Amino acid sequence: MITSSEKQLPPGTLLTGKWNGRIYKLERLLGTGSNGHVYLASYGRSACAVKLGKDVSDLQAEANILASLDHREKGAKRRPFLLDVDDAVVDGAQIPFYAMQYVPGVTVRAYLRKHGPEWAGIIGYRLLRRLSELHDAGWIFSDLKNDNLLVSDYGQVALVDYGGMTANGRGIRQFTEIYDRGYWSAGSRTAEPSYDWFSAAVLWIHVLDEKRLLHLTRTLLPQNRDPGELLALVKTNSTLKPLSGWFEKALRGKFASTQEAAECWREAVHGASRAKSQPSSRIPAWMAGVFAVSLLLCVSLMAIWLFG
Amino acid sequence: MNQILLITDGGSNVGLSPVAAAAQAYEEGIVVNVAGVLDEGSLGEYGASEIAEIAKAGGGISRIVSTKQLSQTVQMMTRQTVVGTIRQAVNEELRQVFGVNSVESLPPPKRAEVVRVMEEMGETAPLKVALLIDASASMKPKLLAVEEAIRDLSLSLQARSGDSMAAVFHFPGEREDCTLDAPWTSSTERLGSLFGRLRMRGTTPTGPALMRVIAYFHESYGKIVSEDEHPASLLKRDDTDGMRSDYVV
Repeated sequence: MITSSEKQLPPGTLLTGKWNGRIYKLERLLGTGSNGHVYLASYGRSACAVKLGKDVSDLQAEANILASLDHREKGAKRRPFLLDVDDAVVDGAQIPFYAMQYVPGVTVRAYLRKHGPEWAGIIGYRLLRRLSELHDAGWIFSDLKNDNLLVSDYGQVALVDYGGMTANGRGIRQFTEIYDRGYWSAGSRTAEPSYDWFSAAVLWIHVLDEKRLLHLTRTLLPQNRDPGELLALVKTNSTLKPLSGWFEKALRGKFASTQEAAECWREAVHGASRAKSQPSSRIPAWMAGVFAVSLLLCVSLMAIWLFG
Repeated sequence: MNQILLITDGGSNVGLSPVAAAAQAYEEGIVVNVAGVLDEGSLGEYGASEIAEIAKAGGGISRIVSTKQLSQTVQMMTRQTVVGTIRQAVNEELRQVFGVNSVESLPPPKRAEVVRVMEEMGETAPLKVALLIDASASMKPKLLAVEEAIRDLSLSLQARSGDSMAAVFHFPGEREDCTLDAPWTSSTERLGSLFGRLRMRGTTPTGPALMRVIAYFHESYGKIVSEDEHPASLLKRDDTDGMRSDYVV
């Protein structure tokens, strides 16, 4: 099923919905997801994101997930994700699309590069809180990775690309190898909260220690892949080390709930910041050094004066 | 749903045409997918076009990949084929019952419903995948990657809600065209190191090997799963006590 949506559409392209009649103007390409391209678009005076797909059923499946999330999270104080599902005719070919809420932000790695790794604490906590909401609604995000976690002002987080989201208990259908616990011989490919904990742990290793993680995946033989290898990276990384208790539990699926995972993260982050601030309250090493040198100087001068 | 997944690195050179064998499989309700593996060098024009032709005749997909991509590809082809098979059946139903051509011609709200049903079927319908591994001499350095791909696939199969089984064959066999390494099973452990003891030979009887696998689907048809050596591992849910004697493949 090849349609013209395989290629990018130029900014300014108008999409007219065949069924609902709404007109969208494409502004720019935001990204390419698993089943199609996502554009920033305007509908009247409001902005939204429009995903154009290659395949009607794949796209509808994603729209169904968003609709179901909107339904199950009805009480939540947020705008609905899914705004419209329709088909448009572009260059004589029918293209299925859906419109959704536009999520501003940059990937978590880009955000930390700009604002510093100390933001990982709050972002990680918010991510786990969001996952906990999804898990409570019966969904496992499953394809959690750097590209799918967008961060905006003051560390606000949003998950994007819900195409891989899977009902609790079902088989994971979309994943990225290095984030997959099956790949690391750390458990099944069944969608359950612990599957997301594992990817969340890999996410932080990938974001904060990418070089060593990729080196590990390249050099490790398949039969030697083990969560212990990932833990070894954590314990030798200065930013991650203080959180190694959390990583141990996340990589081995040892939390009782996602809420507990979030709490444990929060406590670990506080512990890490306390540990960091302690050495600075003591006398810095250079000052102690200067003091020792001056004392030595003083003693030797006295010795010269007395016995010289 | 029945699938054969052929993993090979070159053209067949003995016996019946594998394209004809794949057409035969498809006729009998078995989709044939082909993964062509190459690391250095090329498959040659003949090998590459044969791989595409086998998949086409077998109603399946073909991909040419490096050993590094093999696991992900095998897993994806299997999944895509499940989706494709269901889509075909649903479109057929839509044509007959509602007189519409396909899901595309339904309005979005109806579409949403149909897709929901298709997803449910894709996850729960019984699935059998027979892996047919080319073990001719040139494949030797790639077998570790093949084993890894098999382990990875069975991980995905185990996670499905529906009954999912895999069997493994390699060809050429010691004395015959093709040897059964692992009969239908849903456990990963058994598919551990299958090929350690293999003696590689030069010929590539892809066609005859495919025919043997088609026959195997028939032989095992109607048999009870409990003949497996590890019946406990076949029960993925704990709500069944003992054998599932009513499970007919």
